[in-house]
Amino acid sequence: MKALVRIARLWRRRAVWLAAGAAIAVAGLAAAVWMMTIAGALVAAGGVLAMGAGLRVLGPARVVLRYAERLVSHDAMFRAIADLRVWFFRGVAGSSAGGLGFRRAGDVVSRLVNDVEALDGVYLRVLIPLAGAVFLVPVLLWQIGQGSLVLAVVVVGLFGVGAFWLPWRAGLVTLAAGERLGAAMSGLRVSVHDALAGLREVRAFGAQGRVLADIQVREGILMAAQRDVAGRAARAGALAVLCAQAGVLAVLVGVGLDPALAASAFLAVAAFEAIGGLPRAGVAAGHAAAAAARVLEGASGEAAVVDPAVPAAAPRGNALRFEGVHFGWQADRPTVFNGLTLDVPSGNRIALLGPSGIGKSTLAALALKVAAPQAGRILLGGVDIATLDAATVRGRIGWLSQSTHLFADTIRANLLLARPEADEAALWEALRAARIADMVAGLPAGLDSFVGEAGSGFSGGQGRRLALARVLLSQAPILILDEPCAGLDAETERAFFTTLNESAAGRTVILIAHRLTGAERLDRIWRLSDGKAAAAAG
Amino acid sequence: MDDPRTAARAWLRIQTKLSRTAALPVVACGLVAVLAAILGAWCAAAALAQGLAGKGIAVMPLLGFAAAGLVQAGIGLVSEQASFSAGATARRRLRGDALDRLLAAGPAVLRASHSGALTATVIDRIEAVDPMFGRYLPAAVMAMAGPALVALAALQVDPVAALIMALAGLLVPVAMALSGIGAAKAARQQFAAMSRLQARFLDRIKGIATIVLAGRTESEAVALGLAADDLRRRTMRVLRMAFLSSAALDLAAAAALVLIALRYGAQLRDASLADPGMALFVLLLVPQFFAPLRAFAAAYQDRMHAIGAAEALTELPASPPPPPVLDVRHVAAQGITIAFEAVSLSWDPARGKALDDVSFRVNSGETLILAGPSGSGKSSIIEILLGFVAPDSGRVTFNGADFASLVPAAQSRLTAWIGQRPVLFAGTVRENIRFARPEASDAEVEDAARAARVESFTAVMPHGIDTVIGDGGYGLSGGQAQRIAIARAFLKDAPVLLLDEPTTHLDPTTEAEVFESLKRLTVGRTTVLASHATAAHAFSGRRIDLRLGRVASSRGAP
Repeated sequence: MKALVRIARLWRRRAVWLAAGAAIAVAGLAAAVWMMTIAGALVAAGGVLAMGAGLRVLGPARVVLRYAERLVSHDAMFRAIADLRVWFFRGVAGSSAGGLGFRRAGDVVSRLVNDVEALDGVYLRVLIPLAGAVFLVPVLLWQIGQGSLVLAVVVVGLFGVGAFWLPWRAGLVTLAAGERLGAAMSGLRVSVHDALAGLREVRAFGAQGRVLADIQVREGILMAAQRDVAGRAARAGALAVLCAQAGVLAVLVGVGLDPALAASAFLAVAAFEAIGGLPRAGVAAGHAAAAAARVLEGASGEAAVVDPAVPAAAPRGNALRFEGVHFGWQADRPTVFNGLTLDVPSGNRIALLGPSGIGKSTLAALALKVAAPQAGRILLGGVDIATLDAATVRGRIGWLSQSTHLFADTIRANLLLARPEADEAALWEALRAARIADMVAGLPAGLDSFVGEAGSGFSGGQGRRLALARVLLSQAPILILDEPCAGLDAETERAFFTTLNESAAGRTVILIAHRLTGAERLDRIWRLSDGKAAAAAG
Repeated sequence: MDDPRTAARAWLRIQTKLSRTAALPVVACGLVAVLAAILGAWCAAAALAQGLAGKGIAVMPLLGFAAAGLVQAGIGLVSEQASFSAGATARRRLRGDALDRLLAAGPAVLRASHSGALTATVIDRIEAVDPMFGRYLPAAVMAMAGPALVALAALQVDPVAALIMALAGLLVPVAMALSGIGAAKAARQQFAAMSRLQARFLDRIKGIATIVLAGRTESEAVALGLAADDLRRRTMRVLRMAFLSSAALDLAAAAALVLIALRYGAQLRDASLADPGMALFVLLLVPQFFAPLRAFAAAYQDRMHAIGAAEALTELPASPPPPPVLDVRHVAAQGITIAFEAVSLSWDPARGKALDDVSFRVNSGETLILAGPSGSGKSSIIEILLGFVAPDSGRVTFNGADFASLVPAAQSRLTAWIGQRPVLFAGTVRENIRFARPEASDAEVEDAARAARVESFTAVMPHGIDTVIGDGGYGLSGGQAQRIAIARAFLKDAPVLLLDEPTTHLDPTTEAEVFESLKRLTVGRTTVLASHATAAHAFSGRRIDLRLGRVASSRGAP
């Protein structure tokens, strides 16, 4: 329930609209109740023409108000839901400079789609009818109490059970079932997504049957969870019916004792009809509370490196220096650096060599504040980057990593990610520098060709060069290029290094490589081993 | 070309037929519930009339009312269970069918659609179809049967009132049809917006680090906000129509109630009302008359959703034709000779041919090296040999048998593959290797891991080969992921080995080690290795140079 309150706080921006929806709902309910009271009086006392006129006005008014309520409340709710999705994305991004880690993309999407959607019922199906119920309690007490206080207490008691107690109980007992439902939905989504995104592996290893069986198991788990929640909703619904029938029965008994009470019969029917959905909505609220917890959990990952409260001013220079850096990703894994010291003066070109797994990519991650060293300092322009905003540091460094992602968008949009204001000429220049301009120029749609999912429209080497062009397009004064030529033939590789010397003129280049081709023009070569950097010949 | 909407409707008709029996119990429950409601109204009216006349408590009618209430509550429970089962059965059938088609079509579908959009179809669209079968189908029957029953009951006591109800009831379908004209299109657009949003989000989440490091979080959040807002506007467009039709329903119900109440009011005034009990009965019947119509109007959107989903589902690749049984030849599981005979292939006609009249032959146990710059067609040849795609023209044969005549399971049994970007699943390293052959023993998995030098990095991990890695191989370097793919190939032990740039991300030392183990792996197997020039030196064998999809030169034995 705490989670729901926190989510509700996020909706403050839409409070006016949300309140307006509830207000119109109560007004519509008032019209309905008024109409029923008049109808009751008509039956109890004999028809009066003026009351007939009242009916003629109230009938249409109720319909119009109901329509307005639905429009306003749904629109307000969907705005709040859209806000929540954006908030969720920001939350995920905040903790994901280093990637999703052990979180799974399918699960994150499940939270964004299914769990956020489960929240719309809280307002539409719980809060709005509850507002109506709160309005109805004094009305019932007053109207029925005028005839018989005892009957009023009995009816309001039953009303309270149907409107407040049953939904509350239903919500509480559904909490655990809601958690299971959310997890089951995510499980199914993850396994379907694994199968579809991994179709190549699935096909190549003839795993279709296995994958299908796994999905069907997950679907079975989901359906069991859904059946559980649906069963609870059905039971809550049946109890609501019993409550309403008992309330009407009480009024009918009352009429038997005192005919004047007949006027309240229609009112009671209308009141119980208005709250008939609430116990069932309580089940939805229980599910929503579990969903809210999943949404919050999904969005609330801690950033691995927290920005300082008062960041230091951005340094002028771009010299990068690692000073006695100690680092390990996890306590139970071997440390990556023990006292790494490395100087990269501004405008220098250096190469970092070493076998895979030695920590070349870790070095880039530390420089980009994706992770923080356990001991030692990293200086940018003479300032410890721990005292700088991550955004400041990342604005200075362009990184081509092993896992740089190509988005399912056009080539243009992918390139502009690095520099949104870049003009056409700059885009082509970056493509030329990455030795891919000819291929792009040969495409029928040119820069507006779609790259496909994760660059699947192109070969591995072509996709890699598009990512390289994106990094070259950025105006970062420091470039860290992790194996920029992986997948290239020797000829293209040499040509790339020749152009790099021009295209990156004036910028610092840190080249991460297994080996050198000889075409690189380098100021220094460092070799990583034993968690330290040693100067190699060069 | 088939109109997608016609196809979708035809599909829906078939599915409706399949689900009709499952909806029968729900309809039966609905009929019992209506009868109980009529009984309840009659009892309530009798009790009220007796009370109003000052004749005290009417015991029998009150008992009848209570009994009717119990029946209504109980039948509601049964009905919802039946409705859930009907929906669940339909979903299970549809999801199985969609997955069968996607898995049979294989990786080629990923060239046209994002895996996120496909996942959305398989999960969300099929979930959205559920109420069509669990709710809409029975509601459609009840929308006619329910009001008819109630009107029949009213007819017994007051034909004029029954006529008023019937006329008001007839207005409802007219109003619904009028408001429903634009609704189908709006519903389709809403679904498209939903899928777009999901695919976009999934893509952005997968590349989240790239976005954050490029400092583009804010602009991506804004773009996501716009997409979410677009979805809201489209959803509201659908709902406006739905609300309009239910407002028409409310209006009709209110009109009927007011007209009948005024009629009895007038009769009361001039003292011509014969039986106030019957008048009350008719008044209480009015809401019961409209209740099934209301349920139908609420369910009407379900049909829209189902049509939207039907279009997405009919757009999936067609079910695979059963393989031509007679033409399937037996291919020995050992000693396979591969031949390409004038093979051409184009992925996208606008981009020219990926392969243009390519012919070659790899003898049993031989290694063929495919060389050439990236984009020259090396991967396309591998994809044909994997059965991911069929050539546009020409023929590929395994030991003389047309490769296309083999069922997919036979195709994949013959080949082991190491690609450029192996997909690793969240799980342990051991599970990821075992993916290649689930029935392999632990010892066999460990042998494969040793052969591919996986052990060299799992040895320092906290749980060795049982260390958990994340989605997409999180926690491993590119080279380490590649070695897991190599271990998979060792474990699979297939007669044909397809290597697509297997050592791209490896440093020279590891590359040499891996080549050592790969060379051991190639012994006795027919191997096709796609690689750029430098790396291929380690292998001896025939070599074909590709340029722009054509064989530029060929070296070594024929």
